[in-house]
Amino acid sequence: MTDGPLIVQSDKTLLLEVDHDLADDCRREIAPFAELERAPEHVHTYRVTPLALWNARAAGHDAEQVVDALLKFSRYPVPHALLVDVADTMARYGRLRLEKDPVDGLVLISTDRAVLEEVLRSRKIAPLLGERLADDTVAVHPSERGTLKQALLKLGWPAEDLAGYVDGEAHAISLREDGWELRSYQKDASDAFWHGGSGVVVLPCGAGKTIVGAAAMAQVQATTLILVTNTVSAHQWKQELLKRTTLTEDEIGEYSGTKKEIRPVTIATYQIMTTRRKGVYSHLELFDARDWGLVVYDEVHLLPAPIFRMTADLQTRRRLGLTATLVREDGREGDVFSLIGPKRYDAPWKDMEKQGWIAPADCVEVRVTLTDSERLAYATAEPEERYRFCATTETKTRVIEALVEHHKGEQTLVIGQYIDQLDELSARLDAPVIKGETRIKERERLFDAFRTGEISVLVVSKVANFSIDLPEAAVAIQVSGAYGSRQEEAQRLGRVLRPKASGAGARFYAVVARDTLDQDYAAHRQRFLAEQGYAYRIVDADDILTGDEI
Amino acid sequence: MDTYADWLRARADEELRALLSARPELINPVPSDLGALAARATNPAGVGRALDRLDRFALTVLETMLVLPQPVGLRALGSATGDRKATAPAVRRLRTCGLVWGDDKALRTAPGVRHALPHPAGLGPLAREALATYPADRITGLLADLEVPSPNGFADPASLAAALADRLAEPGPLIDDAGPEARAALGRLTWGPPVGRVDDARRSVRVATANSPIERLLARGLLIATDDRSVVLPREVALHLRGGRLFSSVAPHPPGLEGPERAKDLVDRTAGGQALTLVRLLEDLLERWGVAPPPVLRSGGLAVRDLRATAQVLEVEEWVAALLIEIAYAAGLLARSGVDGEWLPTRAYDVWRVRETADRWAEAATAWLTTDRVPGLAGDRDDRDRVINALADESMRSSAPSVRRATLAALATTACAPGVSAVQEYLAWQEPRRSAGLRDRLVAWTLREAEVLGVTGLGTLAAPGRALVDGDPVKALAPLLPEPVDHVFIQGDLTAIAPGPLVAELGRELALMADVESTGGATVYRFTPASVRRALDVGRTAAELADLLARHSATPVPQPLTYLIDDVARRHGHLRAGSASSYLRCDDPATLDEVLAGRRAAVLRAHRLAPTVIASRLPRVELLELLRSMGFAPVAESPEGGTVVTRPDAHRAEPSARSAPSVVIADPDPSVVAAAVRALRAGDEASQITAPLGEPPRGPSMATVEELREAVSLGSRVWIGYLDQQGQTSSRIVEPVRVEGGFLTAYDATRASIQRFALHRITGVAAVN
Repeated sequence: MTDGPLIVQSDKTLLLEVDHDLADDCRREIAPFAELERAPEHVHTYRVTPLALWNARAAGHDAEQVVDALLKFSRYPVPHALLVDVADTMARYGRLRLEKDPVDGLVLISTDRAVLEEVLRSRKIAPLLGERLADDTVAVHPSERGTLKQALLKLGWPAEDLAGYVDGEAHAISLREDGWELRSYQKDASDAFWHGGSGVVVLPCGAGKTIVGAAAMAQVQATTLILVTNTVSAHQWKQELLKRTTLTEDEIGEYSGTKKEIRPVTIATYQIMTTRRKGVYSHLELFDARDWGLVVYDEVHLLPAPIFRMTADLQTRRRLGLTATLVREDGREGDVFSLIGPKRYDAPWKDMEKQGWIAPADCVEVRVTLTDSERLAYATAEPEERYRFCATTETKTRVIEALVEHHKGEQTLVIGQYIDQLDELSARLDAPVIKGETRIKERERLFDAFRTGEISVLVVSKVANFSIDLPEAAVAIQVSGAYGSRQEEAQRLGRVLRPKASGAGARFYAVVARDTLDQDYAAHRQRFLAEQGYAYRIVDADDILTGDEI
Repeated sequence: MDTYADWLRARADEELRALLSARPELINPVPSDLGALAARATNPAGVGRALDRLDRFALTVLETMLVLPQPVGLRALGSATGDRKATAPAVRRLRTCGLVWGDDKALRTAPGVRHALPHPAGLGPLAREALATYPADRITGLLADLEVPSPNGFADPASLAAALADRLAEPGPLIDDAGPEARAALGRLTWGPPVGRVDDARRSVRVATANSPIERLLARGLLIATDDRSVVLPREVALHLRGGRLFSSVAPHPPGLEGPERAKDLVDRTAGGQALTLVRLLEDLLERWGVAPPPVLRSGGLAVRDLRATAQVLEVEEWVAALLIEIAYAAGLLARSGVDGEWLPTRAYDVWRVRETADRWAEAATAWLTTDRVPGLAGDRDDRDRVINALADESMRSSAPSVRRATLAALATTACAPGVSAVQEYLAWQEPRRSAGLRDRLVAWTLREAEVLGVTGLGTLAAPGRALVDGDPVKALAPLLPEPVDHVFIQGDLTAIAPGPLVAELGRELALMADVESTGGATVYRFTPASVRRALDVGRTAAELADLLARHSATPVPQPLTYLIDDVARRHGHLRAGSASSYLRCDDPATLDEVLAGRRAAVLRAHRLAPTVIASRLPRVELLELLRSMGFAPVAESPEGGTVVTRPDAHRAEPSARSAPSVVIADPDPSVVAAAVRALRAGDEASQITAPLGEPPRGPSMATVEELREAVSLGSRVWIGYLDQQGQTSSRIVEPVRVEGGFLTAYDATRASIQRFALHRITGVAAVN
């Protein structure tokens, strides 16, 4: 019986005891082939999935390394069936390769006739293929490169895409490291992307994903299309690129509802790309507007389905996906793998925090007890109104006031779901509110004011969920959320995780009404954070109202 | 030493014991004397069974002997087989089991062997023998065509055949003459079997008129018709075609079992882990079936749908699920309940469940090794193309236990992990005459099942598996199992992780208050409001739960968990539900006070729920009567309000007689064999004794009676052979009580009762130690 830090479970999860002496070594060796699923205080859970194993294969690891790592660190014997399964699964990657043949163009080559036969018999795949050129080679319609990869992954025979990329229109871009420098992990991430050709970089919020994007652009040295979630985010990308690279204002275009600029570096929103007029995507020409050398997808985990379809046609361009988590609420992780590319780099939140790249956060759940009349009203409310009711009660508002008062002088964000509630809070706290209808100009003015400290409390709706950069937000108070969305919670926490100039930790409050749906949803959201290692403390609202130290 | 029986008589007791151990069917029942033993050992059935046990080389040696003129010396035999060194021990083995007799200078095959092996080494009969059925004119025609001068005078068919046989001793030119197609036809028969089918084989063909390859061969005597539809290749011709060799290849040793070699430590650990998994899966299976038993199909098995569902909930492949189910059944942990036809855990399971893991494993693994049920057949199709269900009667194969044993024995000879085909070839060498089809499948199943059971680890026989065959599997497995732990890690995401198997009590408590999320080396538990409520429902209090967690948590209990427990506990029991058969209500509480204050109030079995309501456990009719007898004037209300809470309970089946797995005893008990030898000797002596002149004949039964009397006086146990009224012979071990009136009265140990035996039906007696 060895005394390793790892326990292999029969459901292919790996439990890593983090306080063990060998835990760090073990983590390094298993991270390439196992997805970190949960990272609470003592025991981290990794899961060995086919996608994770193929990611590892794509990153150049072989089954023997995987098996060795499992045997080396496992405390108990590893089930033989699991080892066999690992080897079998990994052997499936690369049996089929997409290559560029100088004569025949794009071809699918197999090292295993039987696999090729199986694939050719699939009704979904046959139409994507052309003529059979040899026993082991089939022509592929160049336009079906992405769709084919998607279909092959579904069959369990992921193809290795070695057909290469077009260089695209060359454009000189370099980083301007004046007064800052690329962090080591940012460099590793962009290198890993560059060597892999295409793929996804997973970094926590606040770890500087934009800079990884900029570094990748500097490596590709070509025109770049950047797809982001919304307009504010687009502006921020632009600001960041101006600051960090040699690109000038003229070289960066914005393609959105208001502006339609196409420049060597163009930033477009998912929204504009998915706008349809008479059932037709009217902005598809953007993809062909220039000979793009690189396409960057911000927040890959939010990538909408139409963009996947468009991406299927962009397989000859280099693609970089940036995200904080590969978890998709819709379960389309496989499409990310086959269409954008395998995971090229990731680092867990807690490790980044330990190294000081992101601020440590203290998560507090404030339990509010509803008054008797509120409880009665809640119990008799229509089912579809119930959550709204308990999430917006008057009792909560008073607690929020107390919390804001408690953190007076610190940069505080109040985040909520319901506009009425936010308006009311705005009035009660005497703080400006940013919501969907707030004009872009006004939003940016307020953000600037918040950044400079001119205003210290800002009430925001979910429009602020993504990609806004509020360096000095030290306190976030969540008053209501989108039911149980896990990644929303992660994003909101991300608001306060950027390192503070003062080096102080951040506070994240979730105000929750006791014994109601609110509490159930909060539990679901918090589970995700707890699994990331951000365990919640629970505090009674009464303690806050009486002014106790929290 | 003229005959086989004489040789047998001359064998030492020890040698006879070896013979009977090697061929236990010979003493079932024990023959009356050695003459009878010799007859039984050489009859076709007896020889056939002995041949089935021979390995490929022993068979080669035996077949070589049949081809050579007998008696043959060991030296000559050795050169004929091509491996002298291996021949001597093979001859010893053959002699031990009575298939070869005589000393090394003059070896003979036992009578009956030639008949059992009609085509030794794939060779047909000598031409002279084959021609015996030909009429004289046909032989004369052949002789004329082959330009052999006919013997002078009136030649009899035998001498004609001899002349033709001489001509065929050098068949080379004849074969060339017949043409290449004919030669190809011969090629198919060369290495045996030497018999081919031809329509109208006896047709009279001449060289001049022959117009097909077969006819050209028949016309030259290179093929000889044995009946209307068969032809045989004469031995001389075959040997010529073989270049004088008897066998195309001789394998004196079994094929090697080679494969990747694994560190013994790793093998044992892997097997240990798997053993633990097996026990856990079995328990999981039976617990589930105890609560929700699947129905027994009308044909007796388990529905495919139920098997699939079981595989799914256990998260194993279907064949593994079938294996688990069959093991549970073979070990007597699972049986069909008589009443409503469901598959249920037995009471034996309740005993099994509380035993140590190693004991539980040993029981399950032994059941697997010895059962004649074949789990691998589940999902297969039978002769009539119907699916064979798990637990169905069709999935029994009597050879399964011996093949499993043989497979493990093969693995025991090597320290590496041989592939399936290597083991199959190894066993094919061991017993080449047994049909390979089923055996090969059984071997493949045995290997994959052994891995699931933890009998092998990484394809190599592990210590517990070795001990399973001969040794103490419990002792071998125990050190490989992980030590139980008594602490868990509790985390902020409301999970608890037990980093190893938990001590029993903690395991039970945790399973009560949290849901198991993943199993394996460790167990992951998740606390949910529902799971905490479950613990509270069976009487735990929030404080007890918190205390238990605090005592066994290796780290501080996270605050969200204490909140969870408190939250659930706060709301737990707010609503109360009970059962009552009837109620009594009255708008005036004082009246109810009066009812309860009455002297006979206890018989009402009443319970006051509220000032104006009393619940009673009596049926309404009785309640009304009692109240009336107490002087009240109640009326019945329309029946509403009484609820009966039911709760699912686990069921158990009584094991039925047919559920006992049949066990095949591979080797007879040495004491039985020894007793049999003594009985044979005694019978033999008795048959040899001839009465002196003038005295009444002293039949064998006299000796029998003497010995029985002696046994009575000594109070010892004897072994008897007995012929019953139907003429069936059987052997018993008895304690004679008295011998009188032509009957033996004795305690029959095999039936555990006093029985009477007619003396004239007792075939032999021997003392048992």
